[in-house]
Amino acid sequence: MKKIIICFVALAIPFVVLSQETNTQEKTRFKRFLNNLSGSFESNAQWYLDDDKTGDFEEDEHIRANSYLKLDYNFLGNFSIGLQAESYMPEPLLNYDWLYNEKFDLAQYYVNYKTKKLDVTAGYFYEQFGNGLVFRAWEDRALGVNNSIRGGKVRYNPTDFLELTALYGKQRRGLDVSESNVLGINSEFNLRNLLDVDLFDELSLGFSYVNKSEDYGYVNDVVSVPNHVDAYSVRLDLSIKNLYSNIEYVKKSDDLRWKSENKLFDGNALYFNLGYSKKGLGINSTFRRLENMNFYSQREDLNGRINLTNRGTLNYLPALTKQYDYTLANIYLYQAQPGLSVEDYQTVQVKAGEIGYQIDVFYKFKKGSLLGGRYGTKVTANLSYWADLNTKVSDPNGIPYFSSDALTYETDFFKFGEKLFRDFNLEVRKKWSPKLSSIFTYINLYYNADYFKANNKEVDAWIGIAESTYKFGKGKSLRLEAQHLLTDDDSKNWLGGTIEYFHNSNFGIYFNDSYNYEESDVEENSKIHFFNVGGSFTKGATRVALNYGRQRGGLICVGGVCRPVSKNTGITLNLTTSF
Amino acid sequence: MKNLLFVFILFFSLIASAQNKIPNTQLKTLDGNTTNLVDISKENDLIVVSLWATWCVPCKNELDAISEVYSDWQDETNIILYAVSVDDSRTIKRVKPLVNGKGWEFEILFDPNNELKRALGAATVPVTLIIKNGEIVYRHTGYTPGAEDNLYEEIKKHL
Repeated sequence: MKKIIICFVALAIPFVVLSQETNTQEKTRFKRFLNNLSGSFESNAQWYLDDDKTGDFEEDEHIRANSYLKLDYNFLGNFSIGLQAESYMPEPLLNYDWLYNEKFDLAQYYVNYKTKKLDVTAGYFYEQFGNGLVFRAWEDRALGVNNSIRGGKVRYNPTDFLELTALYGKQRRGLDVSESNVLGINSEFNLRNLLDVDLFDELSLGFSYVNKSEDYGYVNDVVSVPNHVDAYSVRLDLSIKNLYSNIEYVKKSDDLRWKSENKLFDGNALYFNLGYSKKGLGINSTFRRLENMNFYSQREDLNGRINLTNRGTLNYLPALTKQYDYTLANIYLYQAQPGLSVEDYQTVQVKAGEIGYQIDVFYKFKKGSLLGGRYGTKVTANLSYWADLNTKVSDPNGIPYFSSDALTYETDFFKFGEKLFRDFNLEVRKKWSPKLSSIFTYINLYYNADYFKANNKEVDAWIGIAESTYKFGKGKSLRLEAQHLLTDDDSKNWLGGTIEYFHNSNFGIYFNDSYNYEESDVEENSKIHFFNVGGSFTKGATRVALNYGRQRGGLICVGGVCRPVSKNTGITLNLTTSF
Repeated sequence: MKNLLFVFILFFSLIASAQNKIPNTQLKTLDGNTTNLVDISKENDLIVVSLWATWCVPCKNELDAISEVYSDWQDETNIILYAVSVDDSRTIKRVKPLVNGKGWEFEILFDPNNELKRALGAATVPVTLIIKNGEIVYRHTGYTPGAEDNLYEEIKKHL
């Protein structure tokens, strides 16, 4: 309640000022106040409807909304204060963290002081160290992720070759904070600036340290459960002429694994990126290996079954695969497998992490060449391959059993285990005339559904997508898109398409549909149209979108992080604006 | 519910005043140095800033479209476009090869933990800004085919 009052006092300031607007001097003062005030508002509301095909909506609240109001105020040149109020009333949208249920709250607030060299924040803040393998505090509203830290942060740049960051606080968890404390220290050394070497375009080193302190709660007489879990990261960034590289190695100290309180395991990660690019050609390759790298501010959040929305994660471990905008390309999605878990089917199986790589090639056929044609042709290819770690399970007490206290494992560092996911895709962008352009996409993927769901199923599929955009002039344009997914596995073949019309740069409407046209064992997908029809209006910083449709149950992913959504039908209203 | 209504009223009372101050959040350059839009706009009277990402199809369409007419724009107006990538560590390594592969001539900056995106209150990308003498004078969200012509008309208004 107190929070709500503070929130309203802060929110009411502009109103109070507004009502005092009596003479010109005060008008100017008000104007100056507004000049220094900025903010944004976002509301995502859905009205869930009963559906003849897929059944009634079975929960009490049919109309739900997630809304966010953010305000920032600058003063005295270097200071700013701000807040974020969040509302999940009458209930949050389906499949969001239950910790948000029926809440309206002043979720975040901060005070910041910033100069060229110093940046100090008290209150809630976001931050990332290196690639995020040891630490990333961030927000993604579509995913329901907000892992900000409540506490203090100092960033100091004494020279052009050194940046130091220190932070301390508690991580946000739902609308509250976690029970643990987090300490983070990061340093970045720009050796190119320090040594003044012209050979390198970039040469820098980074070191990070993250400590989470969380009381275990009770005495364990088998092992001494650590109250502190540490993670260290060391990084090198290099760039010479057309070549560039980034390497990061991470070590995480001993901690419990989920489901066993009597044995400790440590974790590690290796990330290696190498790229080459010149005008008209770019190649990028990434290798990553993660072993037991789940890192939560509260141990209980390790349990994925009660934490589907990545609540309380300290690090950032996205799937390194290509991200698509097309609906059918978002059915079989890989999620990174960083964690350690022991599962018991016929034989005990230890899942300790993942290993894999991704390669991207970008190429432009020049204008006037055979394949380039009059406008040039742009080609993008991507290959990703992910496997689990090759593990050898042993148990000094006898036959390995999943709940055994002594169960342990070994891994081969560079050996690939069971194949989990592979995606090869090719995209060709072609402009035919000043008015007409097309994009063709081919995707060939393998998805090891057996590993993820233990249902003895694997999926081999290929997807073909073609889209064309025609410009009528004066901002009017029409886009047509056709998709087909071909597979003998899972719910078999899908057909999909989109038609989109923009009347001008402010207003557009669209219709899309995905239809699973073959009989299969997956009845919930068989012969049902998953369609969406809607429109959007954009003006300046304001966007309103209205949509009616049937959503397929599956994953919603943003930036390689996913949350599950259940099948639903309804009307969605999205409103975003900033001022 | 009443609270919510109150927030709504306040919000609509504020919306009349559009944000024109540029946030001074830290951005990374291609060679690993740091900069921010405030400093950049001190050196250049008129710039275009486009927030984009390698995974965002409309963003790439917009920058592809501008890329084709960019040299004409520069000849006529001396405008510089700063393409600020909001890619996070999942896709940030794709930026350099993609920009080169496409042959874009824009200035590339990074906003890896989305500090600028957040400070601008941008829920989605692309977001396109025209900044004149340190103030945001035009802002547009999203991209529709042909919108680059509107953008150029706006640029010419602020010469």
